[in-house]
Amino acid sequence: MDRQDKIRNFCIVAHIDHGKSTLADRFIEFTNTVAKRDMSAQMLDSMDIERERGITIKLTPTTMKYNYKGEEYTLNLIDTPGHVDFSYEVSRSLMACEGAILVVDATQGVQAQTLANVYLAFDAKLEIIPVINKVDLPSAEPSRVIKEIEDIIGIPAEDAPLISAKTGLNIEEVLERVVENVPAPKGDTNAPLKALIFDSYYDSYKGAVSMVCIVDGKVRAGDIIKFMQTGKSFEVTEVGIFNPKNCECEVLQAGDVGYICASIKNVADTKVGDTITLLNEPTNKALDGFKVAVPMVFSGIFPLDGSKYEELKEALEKLQLNDASLHFEKETSTALGHGFRCGFLGLLHMEIINERLEREFNLDLITTAPSVEYKIKEVNKEPYLISNPSFMPSVQAIESMEEPMVRMEIITPPDYLGNIMDLCSERRGEYKDMQYLDANRTKLNYIMPLNEIVYDFFDKIKSLSKGYASMDYELCGYQESDLVKMDILLNGDICDALSIIVHRSKAYGRGRALCEKLKEVIPRHLFEIPIQAVIGGKVIARETISAVRKDVLAKCYGGDVTRKRKLLEKQKEGKKRMRKLGSVELPSEAFISILKIED
Amino acid sequence: MKEEEFNQDEVSLSWKEELEQDVREETIDEKIERRLEEMSKRRLEEKQEAENAKQQQKALWASKKINKFDKLRYREQKCREWEVRIVNQNMKDDKLGLYIHIPFCDRKCDYCDFVSYSMGVDAQHEFKDALFKEIEMYRTQCEKMVFNSIYIGGGTPSVMYEGFIYELARKIYSTFHFEGDIEFTIEVNPNSVTANKLMEYLQAGVNRVSVGVQCIDTKILRNVGRFQTIENIENAFFLLQKMGFINTSADVMIGLPNQSLEAVRETIEYLVEKNVKHISVYTLQVEENTQLYKNIKMGKIKPLGDEACIKMYELVNKMLKKAGFVRYEVSNFAIPTYESRHNFKYWKDVDYLGLGVSAHSFLEGYRFNNTPRLDEYIDLINNGNLPVINRDFIRDSERRTEYIMLSLRLATGLNLEKFRKRFKEDLLKTRATQIQNLIKNGYVYIEDGFLKIAEQHFYVSNRIILELL
Repeated sequence: MDRQDKIRNFCIVAHIDHGKSTLADRFIEFTNTVAKRDMSAQMLDSMDIERERGITIKLTPTTMKYNYKGEEYTLNLIDTPGHVDFSYEVSRSLMACEGAILVVDATQGVQAQTLANVYLAFDAKLEIIPVINKVDLPSAEPSRVIKEIEDIIGIPAEDAPLISAKTGLNIEEVLERVVENVPAPKGDTNAPLKALIFDSYYDSYKGAVSMVCIVDGKVRAGDIIKFMQTGKSFEVTEVGIFNPKNCECEVLQAGDVGYICASIKNVADTKVGDTITLLNEPTNKALDGFKVAVPMVFSGIFPLDGSKYEELKEALEKLQLNDASLHFEKETSTALGHGFRCGFLGLLHMEIINERLEREFNLDLITTAPSVEYKIKEVNKEPYLISNPSFMPSVQAIESMEEPMVRMEIITPPDYLGNIMDLCSERRGEYKDMQYLDANRTKLNYIMPLNEIVYDFFDKIKSLSKGYASMDYELCGYQESDLVKMDILLNGDICDALSIIVHRSKAYGRGRALCEKLKEVIPRHLFEIPIQAVIGGKVIARETISAVRKDVLAKCYGGDVTRKRKLLEKQKEGKKRMRKLGSVELPSEAFISILKIED
Repeated sequence: MKEEEFNQDEVSLSWKEELEQDVREETIDEKIERRLEEMSKRRLEEKQEAENAKQQQKALWASKKINKFDKLRYREQKCREWEVRIVNQNMKDDKLGLYIHIPFCDRKCDYCDFVSYSMGVDAQHEFKDALFKEIEMYRTQCEKMVFNSIYIGGGTPSVMYEGFIYELARKIYSTFHFEGDIEFTIEVNPNSVTANKLMEYLQAGVNRVSVGVQCIDTKILRNVGRFQTIENIENAFFLLQKMGFINTSADVMIGLPNQSLEAVRETIEYLVEKNVKHISVYTLQVEENTQLYKNIKMGKIKPLGDEACIKMYELVNKMLKKAGFVRYEVSNFAIPTYESRHNFKYWKDVDYLGLGVSAHSFLEGYRFNNTPRLDEYIDLINNGNLPVINRDFIRDSERRTEYIMLSLRLATGLNLEKFRKRFKEDLLKTRATQIQNLIKNGYVYIEDGFLKIAEQHFYVSNRIILELL
């Protein structure tokens, strides 16, 4: 019997919060992969942020041994991120598997990302095992959810295991299904090496580590490997499997999931989706589907304390070692000084990077409003992309401008349909079609400008639908658009960090809202501060912050000078956290407050 | 009992020490006697001087037919002269001030976050014993120090039992060393001041009385838990005048809930009419941990807005200026020559010693303060310890902050040259842009090497000071 017959490579797909990580925990526990005392909740979420927020960003694979009818099987579980920002990573992870467990929450049913991920799994031709989770909850409706899966997704689900990852109910049944239903990998151990990188990370001792699934052939320490996309070659120093911590082994063969270290200095050389082969005995064809992860959302990140620029740079470099999808380049702003323009896969990615910079590197940051990448065609020039509003040329020079569009899919109970459709059209969405999935569920398709959803679209959808609606989107090209650059003038000076690119039809509303918001967040000064929103020299909105009239310390009673001094020192500390722009002092919240305005 | 004590003393003291003590006791009485004489003499002189000046001024204006505008100019000129004089006089003053905190009141006002207890006479005696022991504890340390001001504040010093202030004064004179004329201030409340007490104060050497008037519309005061009547106030000033106290000061509060501009106007008019020489004007600050704070939180009382406070402050400025007062500090106004010497010490680089519950001191580079709890104060002292609970050495960077903060409160402003020497920093260079901006916008100006806050912007002095830190 071939050794591959005893291997099952599978993943779990689910909508965010449907219990994927908890299910993975139960598998690990059930197969005794990790001693019980070493278990922590959401074992495979390696970062604190992941555990705290209950979301999975970085996938951690694990290898488990499972006894089924007297035979020992090797189960390789590849956990996947559930958020829309990371759908490319999900697709690569799926490529490494033959089967997928589809987890659906018995209380919530099929959601947008359930669908999105299940389609990705179909694309990867995976065997899908539906599982109904959270059946222990009083509001669980397994029979309705089963019907939903059959109706919407179109796969049989009548005998789907009803489980509770939380309590451990029916976990073994799921493992049995995996062994029975997921096909064994069918690689050729004797063919030239073909390994798919589905993730990589940086280890300060071993360099960039590639997480791979061996499709054909084998690899061991000492082999010279070649990365087919980059063309670079390295000598393998170590191979191993995940247990779920790294565990060195002699050889990785077709069907195995493991890691390869080869003293690679730069994580960018181990691109997700790339194929690894042997330099001397290469395969003739790389695995398909490789894409370079492109950042969609951009924002400026500046140290609050200008002297921390170098520290910020080092921190970003360190994060980039682990996260090749993070892009950054130097940016200089008159208002904020030196910093970086960073590119992210999406808003969540941006938030995570920000939080990690602040938490792991102890930096205080100012983040400017997120922007997308616009295509600008100037007269007699090749079109080019800009992501920083301050680089937008003057109106006269621009022949045309295009903005990125997304294909948006929203699933919502019909009750909220009206609200959501209003929101979409207000956000310049172009209605495509609508499908009634069942009595409780409607799917909306829109084409929307990306710049309308990067701010708060997701939060809006959630609040309009009391949390029931879900969304998913993918980039679908550029479209010509009437865009203008709106500057904000504080006391007559342009604050470049507050400039935004906005659709002309939205400019007035946003300008007004922005001025009002700034009036709220900027403290009163000794003088009056006019706040103006300006498009091409024309003022479209104005607010005034009146001057402070009263700020005086009461008497130094009985010579208690210390208390007054401490009060002043505290005030001074607060002032230090402000950014000085000309004569105006801006609190760091001012920059992010633009995110939170209501049009 | 007394006999026994004396016998014991006889046993324990050598004849020489005994003799010395006798001599000292005598000199103190003599001292007080002499001071009283000097004071009454000085009061007469002051009266005469003031009268002469008034006549001269009248004659001058009559002879030159000076119009209203010129009168103003003249007054400003006088004030300027006075300022320079004050600078010279007070900047040179390096003698110490002595502050005594009396932690008792009849009743605590709702807005007050100072330390005060409403307790009986027994507690006052207990406190007195502890305070005298504390004074004794500083005898050696202050042996070589020279004082020239005493300030008895609180709380309400005038609620203390009769005879206390006289005893205290004797204790102070016999422990600390004074030179030249002394400014001896006591704070009194209109409702606890009596003829007997004022007589006692005179005998103790008190020559300056600060009256807690706050507002003559006493309805407004009742609203914030301060119970005094207009009759009390009237009586207090009547007695002060009868006793011959000339250097009188009054505390005025503005920005009280329900206070009208008219009430502020009436209060100032009243005080000017009563010939008060010095007025401290404080804007109400609602501090946490006060009854007023709770009342406001519960919606029982509505605080006054900023704009109303500003109007009041501006009115007070205008009225007092017209009445011949000069604002020598953010909240302090005085007829020239009646500025408070003791207060100046807080605002300058001069040491002061504070005794009593919660009192603050600045001595030999250290700022320290006593416990705010009466029981702890008494316990610590009775166990032979100083009642100090915080003691910080003031580093130069902190001193710098204090210097800027305190000197800019004064009309005389910040002495740039002195600052440069003291902190090895030329403020005009290190804060060049800030100062330029402030000057450009009229917030500050530089005159004769002093950086000053423009008069009309004193009410935002905090912001201006922050720019310079």
